[in-house]
Amino acid sequence: MRHPTDGTLRRLLDEPSGVADTDREHVAGCPACRSGLAAARRDASLSRAALDVDATVDVDAGWSRLSRSVAADSRRGRAATAAPRWRAALRRPAVAAVAVVAVLGAASAAAAADWLQIYRTERIAPVTLSQADLIALPDLSAYGPVEVTEPRVRAVADAAAAQKATGLAVPRVRDLPRGVTGEPAFQVGDRVTAEFTFSAAQAARTAAAAGRTLPAPPPGLDGSTFRLTAGPGLAAVWREARGVPALIVARGVAPTAYSEGIPFRTAADYLLSLPGLPAAVAAQLRGFTGDGTTLPLPVNSQYLTSATADVGGRPATVLKSRDGLVAGVVWVDDGVVTAVAGSLGPDEVLSVARGLGER
Amino acid sequence: MAVPAPAGRGAVRADLEAVFRSAYPRVVAVAARVLGSRDEAEDVAQEVFLTFGRSAVPAAEAPGWLSVAAAHTALNHLRTGRRRAWREEAAGGGAAVSPDVADTVVTRDERRRVRAALARLPRRQAVALVLRHSGLSYAEVAAALDLSPGSVGTTVRRAESSLRKELNRHAPSD
Repeated sequence: MRHPTDGTLRRLLDEPSGVADTDREHVAGCPACRSGLAAARRDASLSRAALDVDATVDVDAGWSRLSRSVAADSRRGRAATAAPRWRAALRRPAVAAVAVVAVLGAASAAAAADWLQIYRTERIAPVTLSQADLIALPDLSAYGPVEVTEPRVRAVADAAAAQKATGLAVPRVRDLPRGVTGEPAFQVGDRVTAEFTFSAAQAARTAAAAGRTLPAPPPGLDGSTFRLTAGPGLAAVWREARGVPALIVARGVAPTAYSEGIPFRTAADYLLSLPGLPAAVAAQLRGFTGDGTTLPLPVNSQYLTSATADVGGRPATVLKSRDGLVAGVVWVDDGVVTAVAGSLGPDEVLSVARGLGER
Repeated sequence: MAVPAPAGRGAVRADLEAVFRSAYPRVVAVAARVLGSRDEAEDVAQEVFLTFGRSAVPAAEAPGWLSVAAAHTALNHLRTGRRRAWREEAAGGGAAVSPDVADTVVTRDERRRVRAALARLPRRQAVALVLRHSGLSYAEVAAALDLSPGSVGTTVRRAESSLRKELNRHAPSD
């Protein structure tokens, strides 16, 4: 019979029960395999000795240290990371409402009962919101039921796993900025879907509560549903020693909107005219609802400033925190949105963004 | 916008303490085998548990995930740590390199050679080697590295053979 592999011989040393009887019997009677087994044993014990180290630990002390770090990390996280803040901001129903309203901008021929793609993100534009605007923004659920699938975000082992899970090319950072070291941790998120059904009755109640009268909805809008999808996406996160993200490179399938088929331009114009939406915000959104390709990125002017730049020939939005601690840049290429952010300067994130390659 | 971000910053998973208490010794042991130093291994373990605390890794997969994360993170530290050590030595501060000041010079040199050899191994081999010598079964190593149990033996064998060659090649030629 054939000799068992070196791997089988190696396992024989550790887990004889995991090796087939026929292999065990063969080795017992085969001088070549017994010699191979002896060599494997020598290498194994040399490795064991080389790797041996006293690693007794005080679990209680370890736990108190971790508890302190977790607490400190949460405080720092709230104060000084760009992407999580966007995420937190986007979780706010009011801001999500702005995004959804704004992506309903493309007019399209109506085809009843079919989901039509009415919007595809091709670029991103910042929408500046003051803190007062943000507080004043209505919740989309004030105009009808909203159902959002909760994004399942999880860690994966490496870039290959991230690529496999999302089908996206994983950006490769050629030169890490000064102070950022090591290998990134990878996270992936599934596709997220949001469905919003406009309810004239609900919108009327909301308007009445604000002492206003609801403008008459255009025909067909009442009860009609919009679907917004985004993702899947992935992120590579480099952390500093204590877990603070030093650099995040994220990529995802950019949002796309679908409708059951109503006059969208009319719907968008109508939604932007609803009572409750601050006039300054509505005016900014109205500025680019016509082309159906621009995603508004809400920017809280109290914390962030935005500027424009160019990444690989694509227009990009550069955000910088007013305290100078974090910066990020985001752009869209062929329906895929990529963001680079970190506790870095705007020049550094732009340099990373412009140097990205594919794995 | 769906820019994925680390899950739930600020929201630390509820089972963190329970998982920590059962897995911390193993995680430190894995990192210590890579780094050759318990103090540095504890730093790595803390980092790994911080990441885990914000993750959505299913509890049942936690032990394997933590061990693999400890091995990868420690191997990463090995690289950056060596860079730092070189810089410090270049700056004339060589004495500050090893935290294990009680060690003899000979042991320190031997340790350095083991670390250097580990850093030169293909990553998968290095991880399999360290996990196996930290007491993970073939089935556990296979699950953690997405290998078949049969190929764990092959991977570990190759790693041990390379380690021996590296150690011999770089042994002092006295």
